[in-house]
Amino acid sequence: MRKRRAENGEDTEVNITPMLDIVFIMLIFFIVTTSFVKETGINPQKPVAETARQKPHANVLIGIDTEGRVWMNNRQVEVGQVRQLIEDAVNETPESSAVLIADTEAPTGVLIDLMDQVRLGGISEISVSAEPESQ
Amino acid sequence: MRKRRHKIDEAEINIAPMLDIIFILLIFFIVTTSFVKEFGVDMSRPSNAPPKTEKISEVIFVKIDANDQIFIKDRLTDIRAVRANIESALAASAESPVVVAAARESDAGVLVRVVDQARVAGAVRVSLVALVE
Repeated sequence: MRKRRAENGEDTEVNITPMLDIVFIMLIFFIVTTSFVKETGINPQKPVAETARQKPHANVLIGIDTEGRVWMNNRQVEVGQVRQLIEDAVNETPESSAVLIADTEAPTGVLIDLMDQVRLGGISEISVSAEPESQ
Repeated sequence: MRKRRHKIDEAEINIAPMLDIIFILLIFFIVTTSFVKEFGVDMSRPSNAPPKTEKISEVIFVKIDANDQIFIKDRLTDIRAVRANIESALAASAESPVVVAAARESDAGVLVRVVDQARVAGAVRVSLVALVE
């Protein structure tokens, strides 16, 4: 480096441009990959299934407990409210996919009603949560 | 500014505050990123589009009644026998869709296991309907 400062030694500077580049790339990566997952607020007992596959882009989670109550965003909701909540989620992230987390003892009728509501709300990719069978 | 540089194009902007903000943003996004690990079984409901008419003999019809009993072709079947039954039905006609009709009071866990077993047996199209008594 030819243009070294002459006045005093404290003024020497490190070239931080490459670090800035990396930091920017990391920042953009994390902004893009962040999806704010809405937890259900309950932890049901899931059925075991051999064909369970990981759902990496699931950001809408809906819980159904043993009594058939529906949980979204850490609070209990009615089946009729689900459609509106789904529409809000689709407005935030258009490519949402939904996972219904139903307890093994939850009534199937609620599950079927919810699947219809989610599809009316604009999400066509619906799956039902299950534990993968341990090998 | 007393120590003005002699050459004009060597003037620099102080980027330290910007760097501070960038770092804070970076840390925020690192902390809030949560990679969801949710496992699920795909399910499809018959769409609202006009139904394709399937001959009733082609459909493999699995019924789950309110007491969680499973019937394949009106024969009471254990959950462990579902796979074998569907496999033998598919051997007759490989393209047959499987329709799982579940009573509203049946357990969701049984439904998931039946759909799972149907998939394992090789059924491509598994759809779900509510059983109307």
